[in-house]
Amino acid sequence: MDSFTYVNIFETKGLEYLLLLCFWGLFVYLLKYLSTPDKKRKDSKR
Amino acid sequence: MDRRNFLKTSLVVGGTALTCKNARAQEQHNPDEFVGILVDTTRCIGCRACEIACGETWGMHVPDVLNDGALETHRNTDENQFTVVNKFETEKGDVFVKKQCMHCYQAACATACPTEAMKQMQGGPVVWRGNKCIGCRFCMVSCPFDMPKFEYDEWNPKLQKCTMCFERLEKGQKPACVAACPTDALMFGPRLKNLEVARHRIYSHPDEYEHHIYGEHEVGGTGYIYLSAVPFDQIGFRTDLGKRPYPEYTKEFLYAVPMILFGVPAFLLGLNALADSSRSGPESEFSLEFDIDNEGDK
Amino acid sequence: MNNNVAINASFGNLFRFFIQELKPRGPWLTPFNIISIPVILVGLGILVYRFIHGLGSVTNLSQETPWGLWMGFDVVTGVALAGGAYVITFVVYVVGLDKYHGIVRATVLNGLLAYCFYGGALLIDLGRPWNAPNPYIGNSFGFSSVLFLICWHFLLYMVCEFVEFSPVIAEWLHLEKAKRFLKKLTLATVVLGITLSILHQSGLGALFLMAKPKIHPLWWSEFIPILFFVSSIYAGLSMIIFEGTVSHKVFSHLIPEKHHHHFDDIVFGLAKGAAITMFVYYFFKALLFIHDKQWDLIADGWGLWYLLEVIGFVLVPALMFAFGFKHRSLRIIKIAAVMALIGIILNRLNVSVIAFNWYSVAHYVPTWQEIVVTFMVIFSELWVFRWFVTRLPVFDSGH
Repeated sequence: MDSFTYVNIFETKGLEYLLLLCFWGLFVYLLKYLSTPDKKRKDSKR
Repeated sequence: MDRRNFLKTSLVVGGTALTCKNARAQEQHNPDEFVGILVDTTRCIGCRACEIACGETWGMHVPDVLNDGALETHRNTDENQFTVVNKFETEKGDVFVKKQCMHCYQAACATACPTEAMKQMQGGPVVWRGNKCIGCRFCMVSCPFDMPKFEYDEWNPKLQKCTMCFERLEKGQKPACVAACPTDALMFGPRLKNLEVARHRIYSHPDEYEHHIYGEHEVGGTGYIYLSAVPFDQIGFRTDLGKRPYPEYTKEFLYAVPMILFGVPAFLLGLNALADSSRSGPESEFSLEFDIDNEGDK
Repeated sequence: MNNNVAINASFGNLFRFFIQELKPRGPWLTPFNIISIPVILVGLGILVYRFIHGLGSVTNLSQETPWGLWMGFDVVTGVALAGGAYVITFVVYVVGLDKYHGIVRATVLNGLLAYCFYGGALLIDLGRPWNAPNPYIGNSFGFSSVLFLICWHFLLYMVCEFVEFSPVIAEWLHLEKAKRFLKKLTLATVVLGITLSILHQSGLGALFLMAKPKIHPLWWSEFIPILFFVSSIYAGLSMIIFEGTVSHKVFSHLIPEKHHHHFDDIVFGLAKGAAITMFVYYFFKALLFIHDKQWDLIADGWGLWYLLEVIGFVLVPALMFAFGFKHRSLRIIKIAAVMALIGIILNRLNVSVIAFNWYSVAHYVPTWQEIVVTFMVIFSELWVFRWFVTRLPVFDSGH
């Protein structure tokens, strides 16, 4: 039998936004990391 | 269309609509109204007359109910049997539960079928039509009750499941299992009436029934509804299926399909025009033509 | 010399030309042939048996597990791995990055053949394949069905890819006029092809939306379509790296010297794309994990299996791609590509087979026949691919 109690369906929203902040931080770092390939290694290989 | 004609037409249409409405109000039985079967497990004595009637009606496996000892195990319906009765030992004694296709009112199998082979007929029964079926078994994947059964050992396999005796209903007869039931554990009728009866039984015997009608809200409502003396998870029912009709799980996706077909090509062509003009500089004109050998020529 | 015959095309000559081209070139008894020929023959035998005695005679499918390896690997996984074609045509024809032009032909051919064979694998899994035209010819359109959508998209997308590839065929036959005309269709078919790909890559995920109560909650989500679409992007990129690497080894005599160096450059670009896509995909997974509060579920074996897939075969290869790009290491990128592909295979099989009916006692395990037929599909695709690249100007644009 169902009962009528309050269920917060947005309970995890705060955590989700924290994850979003993490993502943006790491993503910007990743893009910066990828934007400058290691030129020295490349030249020595060729 | 000129104004006079328009007025005339709207008067006629309006008038027809009014008459229709009146006619519907007077009608005793609406053929679109869903029918269904109420299974009262407290009344079932496990005689399995329904299994026999079903097998005989459809020319399928007719069990030898006196000698096969089938109640000792929990069986499932299969490609040779549309319905089975199982025995569950509970705190309130043995409970017998008939099992078959639930005939959901928003049927996942019918929604899943790419050829409308599984189809919801007028009044609610879901039936399978062999001339359409391609045998993809997507109905089996989608059915929350695992009811469509596939003949894996046939070169020309059929999908087998209870049809709520659709042919008999069309002739004005009751489903074979209902007609065979000696204890009125099965009751056939309009779903609204079945629900009223079910509620009445619960309210007039509040201690004998679980205050829950299985199938009233499960998966959006089913044709078969069940009453029980013990919680439904003790007698083989899944209670985690939710109240949302299963077709709604794919509704948003299917809704988005034309959206994407409108939007994405336009977006891609726009992006292409932008990329094209920025790449080739002002001297070249806009062109849709591409040279697959660009690179080779350079 | 073959080509002159074709141009002067009297029908008989054209026929002779095709016969000529069908003959094998090169040695017969290569290791690949020795393995693949028996597998294909046995597979065909199994298929004959299956069409006489029913699906149950060669597969372990059951009433609870209606889709097994043929659907889960050949169709659901195979199509994801063929995603490279739409990604590369997007990059080359829509965005106009000429750097990747050299791999367009091979990738589109791969995509086309993958759809023919893996989409075709759907037919051997159908119980009543003679009714297969039904969704197309109009006597029974199941508009409400996701599979109906996928059926149509497979067909339309195959047409698109064929048109995209057709200039190469025209070039092979030295039909210059036809080639010029067909090239004009390229952009239109590319745009349509990308749109269709978005829809059927996600549609393959949408197939499992209604199977909610049967799939382990770690793998079911209402966002499966988006997950499938995003992961098909990096599946395609990884597959191009993998397949290109193998092609450059096996067909090195067909590939001009300058392309070899050029291909390394392309691989670095693809690795960067894959790293970013996988990173985003990983966070999609993390978001769903948090939203559905799934931390209770990761303690048992299923949880570990899930973590292995999401961390071991998504996050780790993503970082390896990034590292390989940064430090110009082809080796790391190639290992990452293989790991990403394993991750895709795991994910698709988890959703469609492994975590499907996870609570069931008698869990589905494919029979040897199902595995042989799966390899038959893969090997026959490779045969046709080999036939095309050794005859048509796929790797070299011919001029």
